[in-house]
Amino acid sequence: MEHWHGKNTAIQESRVIQVLLIAFTAAFLTLFLIFPLAIVFQYAFSSGIEAYWQAVTHPLTVSAMHLTLIASLSAVVCNAIFGIALAWLVTHFRFRGRQLLLTLMDIPLAVSPVVAGMVFVLLLGHHGWFGTWLDAWNMKIIFATPGIILATVFVTVPFVARELIPVMEERGATEEEAALVLGASGWQTLRLVTIPAIKWALLYGLVLCNARAMGEFGAVSVVSGHIRGRTNTMPLHIEILYNEYEFAAAFAVSSLLALLALVTLAIKRVVELRHLTGIRRGSAGSL
Amino acid sequence: MTIELREVLKKFGEQLVINSVSLAVEDGELFVLLGSSGSGKSTILRVIAGLVRPDSGCVLLRGSDVTQFPPQKREVGVVFQNYALFKHMTVAENIEFGLKIRKMPAAQRRHRSDELLELVGLSGLARRYPAQLSGGQSQRVALARALAYEPSVLLLDEPFGALDVKIRGKLRRSLKAIQRELGITTVLVTHDQEEAFELADRIAVVERGRIVEIGTPHQLYHSPQTEFVANFVGGGNVLFGRYNEGRVRLGSTYLPFPGDAPPHDEGAPVRMLFRPEWVIYSSDASQIEQGSLPLGKGTMRDRLFGGATEKLRFELDDLRGSQSIGLSLEYGQRGTLVDGVASSLAPDIPAIGETRWLSLKRCHVLQPTSLRILTKLEAVPIHAGLMETATHLGGASHGLLSLLSVASTKDEMSSCKDLLEDSKAAVLGARRDIRLTTRVRIGDPVVETVLESQEGYFDLVLLQRSSRNSDTVGSFPGIARHVLVSAHIPVILVSEIGSALKRVLICTAGGEPGKSDVRLAARIARHTGAFSRVFHVRRGDMSANEVARVDRHLSRAQAVLTSFGVESDVLVVEGEPLRELQKQIDGGAWDLVVIGSSSQTLPDTTAKPSFDAQVVATTSLPVLIVPTPE
Repeated sequence: MEHWHGKNTAIQESRVIQVLLIAFTAAFLTLFLIFPLAIVFQYAFSSGIEAYWQAVTHPLTVSAMHLTLIASLSAVVCNAIFGIALAWLVTHFRFRGRQLLLTLMDIPLAVSPVVAGMVFVLLLGHHGWFGTWLDAWNMKIIFATPGIILATVFVTVPFVARELIPVMEERGATEEEAALVLGASGWQTLRLVTIPAIKWALLYGLVLCNARAMGEFGAVSVVSGHIRGRTNTMPLHIEILYNEYEFAAAFAVSSLLALLALVTLAIKRVVELRHLTGIRRGSAGSL
Repeated sequence: MTIELREVLKKFGEQLVINSVSLAVEDGELFVLLGSSGSGKSTILRVIAGLVRPDSGCVLLRGSDVTQFPPQKREVGVVFQNYALFKHMTVAENIEFGLKIRKMPAAQRRHRSDELLELVGLSGLARRYPAQLSGGQSQRVALARALAYEPSVLLLDEPFGALDVKIRGKLRRSLKAIQRELGITTVLVTHDQEEAFELADRIAVVERGRIVEIGTPHQLYHSPQTEFVANFVGGGNVLFGRYNEGRVRLGSTYLPFPGDAPPHDEGAPVRMLFRPEWVIYSSDASQIEQGSLPLGKGTMRDRLFGGATEKLRFELDDLRGSQSIGLSLEYGQRGTLVDGVASSLAPDIPAIGETRWLSLKRCHVLQPTSLRILTKLEAVPIHAGLMETATHLGGASHGLLSLLSVASTKDEMSSCKDLLEDSKAAVLGARRDIRLTTRVRIGDPVVETVLESQEGYFDLVLLQRSSRNSDTVGSFPGIARHVLVSAHIPVILVSEIGSALKRVLICTAGGEPGKSDVRLAARIARHTGAFSRVFHVRRGDMSANEVARVDRHLSRAQAVLTSFGVESDVLVVEGEPLRELQKQIDGGAWDLVVIGSSSQTLPDTTAKPSFDAQVVATTSLPVLIVPTPE
């Protein structure tokens, strides 16, 4: 705070207002973030460590965790590739429909995930447009793992590209041109020049993408079919446990999910810090 | 020849960025592309590097066509404008990048990068990151990186652009030394003329995607061919005069026409260049240096201290009316401004307001290539044909197109200005690369047009024909005759039909082919890329001697066309001139008819119409009428 309120800034609040603002923020955060999070852990352990351990090692929980990790990993990989390609496309080429593409990219952020899930059911479900065709090939997408992966990928599409576009826009393509002239192939240029230069932004985007993927409920809920042990992700599993009044177990799994989120946040923070130091040293990658 | 471009053309969208550029760079040469920003010089460099693919034309490196090759296959070293160092790699890794790609073993790479760091004077910085380097150091790393895999061609895009003036000078020397030591063929792009002079073996001046002129720094400075280069390279005085019996008339002063200057027709505009340091001043007419060319008496108007030298500006009354567009007169001044220069230690620098006798050590006449065209607009309606022809000709000749509107009273001024604005927009809409000026004058249209064509030193005046084509007198406007007879300036009469002037018929039916009409036709045909025919109608009763003489004239005329690079043929027929010409015009899909003006005096309305008027009456094609000297 002191840093921002140095003598040379035009905004100078009185000490009282500063303290009030800080207090208000702290109270708000406690009430809406820290308190609920604490409650989750408190409830999780309310029936003792033994019960907690049982809940989190229950086969159904393990299977849900497994599925969540698969879906998140798929989303991260898909969107890393798609995000780099899309960011490169919109930052290095000017073409008709570019603005439209940039807008379309944000659809998953704007549309309710439930709607997204419904769309997949309509398209790929048993009675969907491609349903008969998929049935003929004996491919099951909806109410199966592929459907969950699809839904997760869909809702996380914008995260990587949105992080990369400003970074790529700023650095331009001259380093890539230099690499080409020095004899590097397109693939070598991507691997040796582009990715190292954008790696922190990319990592940051992937962390965000992962956090969203693990927590996704709405879209996944629609396409999953809630088949225990097979198509339940962690958020869905928690809902089921909760609806069956197994509060301790529900909160135990919740705490696990919250823990994963906290780890993700920690990674994000580290990435951010390194990214910032990198920028301050005038080089995004020399660490 | 290590690098060769052949008629390279590149458009970005609608905009022509490289306009048919051809050049050849010799082995080991340091070749500079000099031009202002946006002139297309960097794009030319990128075409050589393979980063921009031309729409047409080809690029040859070391004798083989690489037009379709990607940059990786061209083996050229490039130093980019902002160096484009890889920020996440150390200096050594940057330099070794090209070698690593080429799979050179690590130990060898290390050795090579040490060698290069020593060459560019940066030993010991191998482990630094680009962010830890100064601008000058970054530039040298970029140079080392470009040279690492020993390319046969080095390309540099404004390599000193981002550096302090002091470091620039130092790095220029070191670049030149390295280039000489390695003997590597180099192309450097810059907007800085001083840099170009210091570094270049040869310079190509680039303007609007074209190469205007190529030459050694010495040639471009002391004897440029075009007005653009004369003004762009170095400071200079370009004055307009007229060729007058072996001399050049500038205002009321006469200078001898230099023996090595390109041939000019009698009365043709002459553009005379003299650099400031060619101007000598002395306090007394009797003290003018032996062998120098007296210019006249000048009044000191301005002096600017510049360190080693002082810039002087004189106003000369004797040169009145010869001012180029380079320097514009202050309100109330009417003489011509001449720039000079003196050592700042010179004891006799005149004070402002003092007068001196000026003379020249030498002067240089520019090539009469680009055309200065005056187009007189009629009030209403604007005929599309006139504007179209003016646009084609102005665009093709890369000269100056001036639009004139004459208001008979002050009240008409605003409508004349509107007309000019509309016409200007129409011309620029069709061709954006035209140098265009507009002018309104008040008074009698005939008098003002004649005056403007003289005062502006135009090569050519475009006029609208009177609309009534059937009326012989009417179709040859009086204004044209006045311009021809009083101003001695060629006229093109245009009817409703515009023309790209691709086929030119030079008609010598009325007599022997005049030198001036053939030469002007050749200049136009060269610019528009036209085919030309020299057409002659012979009388049936000519003696063998006369026939031989005419044939000699015709073959000389064709030689002139060939020397201008114009494709041509000669056709001789026998018969009645006007009728034969009519047949020729009807049968040939011609765009322009060129004739010499046979009339030396203003027409007497009762007399029989002159030959040129009769030709104009027989065709609706644009007709170029060239005044023949007495």
